[in-house]
Amino acid sequence: MSIVTVQLGQCGNQIGHELFSALCRDSRGTHGLCSNNENQSYQDSCKERFFCEEESAVPAARAVLVDMEPKVISQALSMAASSGHWRYSSHSHFCQKQGSGNNWANGYCVHGPRHKEAIMELVQREAERCDRLGGFLTIMSMAGGTGSGLGAFVTQCLRDAFPTSFILNHVIWPYGTGEVIVQNYNSVLTLSHLYHSSDALLVHENDVIHKICAQLLNIKQISFRDVNQVIAHQLGSVFQPAHLPCAVSLSDMSSCGFLLSGDLLESLVPHPEFRMLGLRNIPQMAESSLPYSTFSWPGLLRQMLIANAQMEEGIDWQVRPPQAGSCIPCTNKALHFNTSIANLLILRGKDVHSVELGSFQDPSLYTSWLNPQDAFTAWKTPRAFNKYEKSAALVSNSQFLLKPLDSIVGKAWNMFASKAYLHQYTKFGIQEEDFLDCFTTLEQVISSYTNL
Amino acid sequence: MMQRDPGRCRDMQGIADTSREMQTHPGRCRELQTHPGRCRHIQGDAGSCRARGRAGAPAVPPPRGQGALPRAGGPEGRSRWSPGRRERRDARAAAGAAPGAAPGAAAAAGPGAVCRRRGAVPGPAAPRPARPRHPAPRQSLDFWKLLYVLLKQIHGGSWTESDAIGAQVRFVQWALWYHGYRRPQLRRLPADGSVGSRELLLAFSWLLHCPGLLQRLLAHNRVQTGDHTSVCTCEDDVPERQEGPGEAGPEGRVDVRYLQWLHGRLRLQWCSLHAQHQEQCRLLHKIHSFTSGSHMDQNLGHFSVTEADLIRHPENYKQLLQLLESETTQLEAFLEWKQLEPVYWQWMVAAREELQKERFSATARKAQESTELKLRGLPSLCAPQKTRMHGLCRLVLRSKQPASKVASGQCVSKEAAAALRAAEVIRELQLREASLQRELQQLQQQCRTRLDGIAEGLEGVICISP
Repeated sequence: MSIVTVQLGQCGNQIGHELFSALCRDSRGTHGLCSNNENQSYQDSCKERFFCEEESAVPAARAVLVDMEPKVISQALSMAASSGHWRYSSHSHFCQKQGSGNNWANGYCVHGPRHKEAIMELVQREAERCDRLGGFLTIMSMAGGTGSGLGAFVTQCLRDAFPTSFILNHVIWPYGTGEVIVQNYNSVLTLSHLYHSSDALLVHENDVIHKICAQLLNIKQISFRDVNQVIAHQLGSVFQPAHLPCAVSLSDMSSCGFLLSGDLLESLVPHPEFRMLGLRNIPQMAESSLPYSTFSWPGLLRQMLIANAQMEEGIDWQVRPPQAGSCIPCTNKALHFNTSIANLLILRGKDVHSVELGSFQDPSLYTSWLNPQDAFTAWKTPRAFNKYEKSAALVSNSQFLLKPLDSIVGKAWNMFASKAYLHQYTKFGIQEEDFLDCFTTLEQVISSYTNL
Repeated sequence: MMQRDPGRCRDMQGIADTSREMQTHPGRCRELQTHPGRCRHIQGDAGSCRARGRAGAPAVPPPRGQGALPRAGGPEGRSRWSPGRRERRDARAAAGAAPGAAPGAAAAAGPGAVCRRRGAVPGPAAPRPARPRHPAPRQSLDFWKLLYVLLKQIHGGSWTESDAIGAQVRFVQWALWYHGYRRPQLRRLPADGSVGSRELLLAFSWLLHCPGLLQRLLAHNRVQTGDHTSVCTCEDDVPERQEGPGEAGPEGRVDVRYLQWLHGRLRLQWCSLHAQHQEQCRLLHKIHSFTSGSHMDQNLGHFSVTEADLIRHPENYKQLLQLLESETTQLEAFLEWKQLEPVYWQWMVAAREELQKERFSATARKAQESTELKLRGLPSLCAPQKTRMHGLCRLVLRSKQPASKVASGQCVSKEAAAALRAAEVIRELQLREASLQRELQQLQQQCRTRLDGIAEGLEGVICISP
């Protein structure tokens, strides 16, 4: 089962390159304490999923690179080739000779339609090389200009061309104090368009990653490369192969087969109104500290619950809502407690079978109309990830993005109400009605999540 | 014949004796024990049936085997009139009918009855059959088990010897109801399986009469080539669910968001299935194109999945051979049944007439009418059916037109395989899809109108339709 990655814009191409590097490195790396058989099928599965085996020994990433400028793409191509362990296919990138201004509407209304055929042909070619197409992963930033607009358009084209394939959009949530004045407009436009075309949006917030780099990894001068590597590590911990809990023994596991991306979406985003996914990954440690650390599962999982709190500005999962008997208006509940719709926990490494997961199945964590058996899924594999003896990733469909989303929509609305900077959009074809539609969509999303 | 082959003649005398069977046909019994679902039933008045077609033929070969049920136990009580069908004996015992009546009526039906009579004790005033040694419940249990095994196989399930009788009874009742058999007496039978062989006989006959069930059983046990795909362009008339008040009270209320969740899961799973199906097609195409020109059968021209696999793992040929042999045996048994079938229906008709006193319901009457029709329609069984595409098709790659694949239908009874072109099937399915889309849009429009109507009644609310 294979996934085709579409890297969009500067952000998408940089992260995409780091992602493939991380996957390749993990696949070739030490496999901890799992059996050779297990490791072999893990490697085969990873290779099949993200890379295409070609006659020359080095596997080629199943990726399409799109950008308006040639600089970032050529960097990515050369860095991959020089690694010696993987590369990009020679004819799977699309770029223009010069950039085209930092303008969302320009990307969506002008460049998108103009280059649609060329881009979709690259995608088709990659899709046809897959024996079984699991779906598409697009990587892009939300608040960027041309890249984001183009990215929204390309996602729509993907949906039209592949109506039954899965589409997972990985989006980078901008810094709260970003520099681009129209980033809120761009975010609103991108989010609402993606919400219509894709199956799920997996969000990484720049602020959060920055905090991880500073506090957990102790990096003094945080560069984009550091941020991208953390993101790639987190994505890798989700996309690398793992098993369903039905397998109780190792021999079962190897025959059980590794899961498809469809299963990820099935567990988390069946409901069309709730598509926002967040990702937490533990532990995050500087590489130098790794050899000196040992981890215990209860400690790690407790840390995950608490770490979640840190990333959500003080919301603590240990806070329990009042008893079921008393009636609490939904809005109050949202303020004090992060309600989840669904959670997916992925455990990797030593002793995964003996982990006690009861704390994640507490019904008070979840919304009332879904019981924990439906809402919580756990995947496990004894195969260690990226040199961590034990690691866990939590993909969560919950209210965690409610506040940031509300804040962005609020700011964008204020600007819209005073018609600030609208001419930049209207001159390329995004009219006020389109803006209104986007606001409506996002208000609906906010309302759905608030009323959990 | 009696002198020549006494073992066989016991068939003519109608002694269902499993142990004797094992002596004469041990191989078959092994198979019967492992595949009881394929028991050769209804040997019935085999002699009369066979002889009917060959009136005057001197040596009518007796039926080869008995419809032996998997059971432990010694020889059954002797009965002259029931060559192997303990159920029928039991039915007659239950009905209290005169022993000679049923086969007598059937025997009188054809001149070939004489041949059958040859081996039997002469004279219609034959001694009454001895009471079966085993009590009636035993036969009921066995009959339940027979139906259970048959229906389980048809439904593609598996069964074990240790399945509880209660579960068997429930399953049989469910399966019969599912296939449209609605006779209430069957549902009222007790779950311990102790009574009901008469009802079961009726149900069993109904099953035999049901179109396609036996064929399904055969298809289930067929050796797979791996190249099959299912085609269905039928207009399935989903019955309109009545728009009634909501079914559940406050306790049973379900949040609509949960239903949306479930619907979404279903859709995503369907997408996964679609992707897997596409992969299978892709790989099948690879096998077909890589092996084209290699097959001995010019019509096909390429290997099937099973054949390609055999090339790679030649040590599996033994297993394949076994499967083929068992399939052949089953088909032979089916052919035999087909020849004997009219006799069975004759007997059933006669039996029904006797049981008229018991006031059989209209179902039995219908069964009789339809069996009479069936008897009359026997010669026309091979009439070609309307071309409505339904069932399994084998995919065959035609290299002359690389763009199209031809599918050949595989049916047991038809001589010439009906070939379908994939392009035609696709066209039909697209038409069907278009009409379903139109229907969906209509329904959505209706819902939208209803929602607008409701929203108009609400104050201060703006309704934005999806």
